[in-house]
Amino acid sequence: MQKNPLGLLLGAALMLMPVLASAVVGLPKTVEVDRGKVETVCNQNNPEWREAQTIEGVSMQESLRCSPDNPYAIAAQVKGTNNLSMEALMNTHYAMDGIIKKNDMDGDGDPDLIIIKLEVAELNGHSPDFAGVLPTFDIAPGIQPGMWVFAPKSRGMATNSFVGTDANPLLRAPSPVIRVEQGDIIWIQLENTHYFPHTIHLHGVDHPWIDSSGEGNDGVPQTSDKFVLPGQSKTYEIRPRVPGSFVYHCHVQTHVHLAMGLVGMLVVEENRPNNWVQTFNVGAGQVRHPSKAILEEYDSEYDLHYHAMDKELHSVIQKYNDPRLIARKMNREYDLTDSTEDYHTLNGRSFPYTLRESIIVAEPDKNIKLRVFNSSGELLAMHTHGHKATITHYDGVEHNPIAQITRDVYDIAPAQRNDLKINTTDDGFHSYGEGVWIFHDHREKGITTDGMNPGGNVSALVYKKYLNEVGLPKTIGESIAPLFTKAFHARKVPVWQNIDDWNSLGEIDAEGYVAPPPSVAAAPDVTQGSADIETSEDNSFRNLVFGLFLGIFAYLLIIYREKLSALISSLKGGS
Amino acid sequence: MTKYQSIIAIALVISPPVFAEKEFEKHNNMMDHGNGHLMDMTGGMVMGQNTDVLPGGCDRIAATKEITVHAGHKYAEKFPGRMFAYDVQEYQFEPCTKVTVNFFNDDDVRHQWMMHGLPKYIYPKGMFHMELTGPGKISGTLIFPPGDKTYLVHCDMAQHMEKGMKGQLKIGKGDGDLPSIPGVTAYVIQDDYSDSIADKSISDTVVAEITEMKRQVIGNNSFFSGLTVIGLAIGLILAPLLARRFKGMTPAEVITYIFDLVKQVVDVIVKVISWLIGLVKK
Repeated sequence: MQKNPLGLLLGAALMLMPVLASAVVGLPKTVEVDRGKVETVCNQNNPEWREAQTIEGVSMQESLRCSPDNPYAIAAQVKGTNNLSMEALMNTHYAMDGIIKKNDMDGDGDPDLIIIKLEVAELNGHSPDFAGVLPTFDIAPGIQPGMWVFAPKSRGMATNSFVGTDANPLLRAPSPVIRVEQGDIIWIQLENTHYFPHTIHLHGVDHPWIDSSGEGNDGVPQTSDKFVLPGQSKTYEIRPRVPGSFVYHCHVQTHVHLAMGLVGMLVVEENRPNNWVQTFNVGAGQVRHPSKAILEEYDSEYDLHYHAMDKELHSVIQKYNDPRLIARKMNREYDLTDSTEDYHTLNGRSFPYTLRESIIVAEPDKNIKLRVFNSSGELLAMHTHGHKATITHYDGVEHNPIAQITRDVYDIAPAQRNDLKINTTDDGFHSYGEGVWIFHDHREKGITTDGMNPGGNVSALVYKKYLNEVGLPKTIGESIAPLFTKAFHARKVPVWQNIDDWNSLGEIDAEGYVAPPPSVAAAPDVTQGSADIETSEDNSFRNLVFGLFLGIFAYLLIIYREKLSALISSLKGGS
Repeated sequence: MTKYQSIIAIALVISPPVFAEKEFEKHNNMMDHGNGHLMDMTGGMVMGQNTDVLPGGCDRIAATKEITVHAGHKYAEKFPGRMFAYDVQEYQFEPCTKVTVNFFNDDDVRHQWMMHGLPKYIYPKGMFHMELTGPGKISGTLIFPPGDKTYLVHCDMAQHMEKGMKGQLKIGKGDGDLPSIPGVTAYVIQDDYSDSIADKSISDTVVAEITEMKRQVIGNNSFFSGLTVIGLAIGLILAPLLARRFKGMTPAEVITYIFDLVKQVVDVIVKVISWLIGLVKK
């Protein structure tokens, strides 16, 4: 019976072959990637902060977004830290001398001497003590580029609390929008709390080249100014005669210091009686206490500051602690002309975090003023869905009203500002009606975070009707929850995971997978250009045969060595 | 509320006007906000002031001391690679000592002298904190708890501790050293000072990389490979055997013999296959 076990075995193997082969021709299986912890989409909701309110005489508009500005901070920004009660000031992170407002010189009811203090803060910086960065400021979940910002003068710790390393709310990107009134005497005191020299250049703002004491006032080290060294302070004096949307930035090693984040908007508001302007708009976005002149023409006002970062530059300060080493890496080794911008932010954050703080809240039949500033290194092509806005001002200068352009893509070169008027009248032209209308850079890299979409500087203009109780847009598209994960931003989650019942575009699990031999030999590729790199061929048999012949030849040489030597000597003799 | 208003009114009267020039501020008239929190309108602040509450375990104040601490950029001079520092990096006191700290800020910017880890039932958040928003002097007092412990003192402004404004305060023998204290202890994470700019130009590297990549893609196209050596060895071994076998044969006979050999091999293979087929058929 069992006389030929080997034969049986081989036969069985042979018969099983078709079954085995069918298992092998299948493709690797699909798996679901664990996206880890999903952050609460709106994580810091202070409902009482969202309401329209008045604090110590400072009235402010409602702010329906998820993370509204702290009303006490707005009160300090409008009244000055010197005119606010200690009790109210203790609800903010402002230093006692952060914003000084006094001297109503023209008797029109508002202060005319404004002293603004700015410190320089590093965000997501290095620590020699542990492998992490601090104080942290995430532009998107888990994305923490090292940054420098001008910050209002604060008090206490750089972090928000004793637990955790997140920066206090005054230390954030972008550098705060500064608002002043036309004709006021403004002293901007730069207190250099950073480890490198810095200055302030007031771009577009009416300022004398030298101040009242004969010192440089233009911020340019090569022409007018000494460096403001670490631990030093310097006051810039201005009395701007012309209103508009302008800029301030550091002018030391500008190519990298500006890119690192030492750049912000400076808005000069038109002079009006009893016009207390909101000196800082921290984090930009909605201006909750718009100036008198703005309220004459508009219902609300938003500052939109676009920026972009090269992750290579922004990681330098995270890799080293020695300032000399950082200076060498940043100013001698890093080459901006070879750089590419990876992170694209609006008001310091990228999508989806922009939904928490940078949405524009609209209602029908209103006028909204946007001040749009581009501090990235490339042209911005901002596009508004559902609306055509009118460009009223270029670089703070009003465009002739009858020549003003209404369009849907606004091209803004680096350092330029456009003031836009959005009219929410549903006429098919200015507005197409209510909804959740996104607005974004239309250079497509601008809607990515390090090349990954959705991300970048996307935000949304949301009509109140479409705003939920925590200030998030009531979207009817795909869920945005998966975007609020570190795994997504670490590129771990496939782009279309779980789009249908059986996850047809899920992650491939190719572990242990071996491709079967192709069913039909692929026809040789004879298209042109395919021969640039020759495909590999198997030379083993050729080489074996060649070796075999060499061996035989060698053997023949050895056994006929006497004849050969005789032949060689005879040839020698013959010659 | 009236309390705060009166405080502000007093503060406005006593606080000197703010000038653009940095003036040395003597913060001598601070208001007590309770819980040892002192503050004035010119930017001086002490948190965790404690002049009389004995920490648990202390039966009396062991000693009364006074120290002076200076903070500023210039104190980093003796520590290359640092930008901010205190004039003193280490302190030592006996447990239950009452210390008055006279803190001087020698810079035109804000600095702090902050201590963590104190008993929370006396010191809110376990902290003793002094802050000056500009050049000036401020004083604060605290009483240390018993026990050997090392406390961190630092400036918590972004990057000030990392760039050198850090010290340690030992009560009793302390419980070890903290890292990264200028002139005392090393960093936990050291900087890499090696020059990263390669002498070789980038194009050389790219050419080398492409060559290597091409070699891998194309494979070894030379006639000499491992298999050539194997072939050579086999040839050397086979040659004498074949020579013995073909001894005395004419070339024609040799060829006939080889053909015969190949035929025999093929016959064997065919037999094996048909045997297998036979097995399958059964």
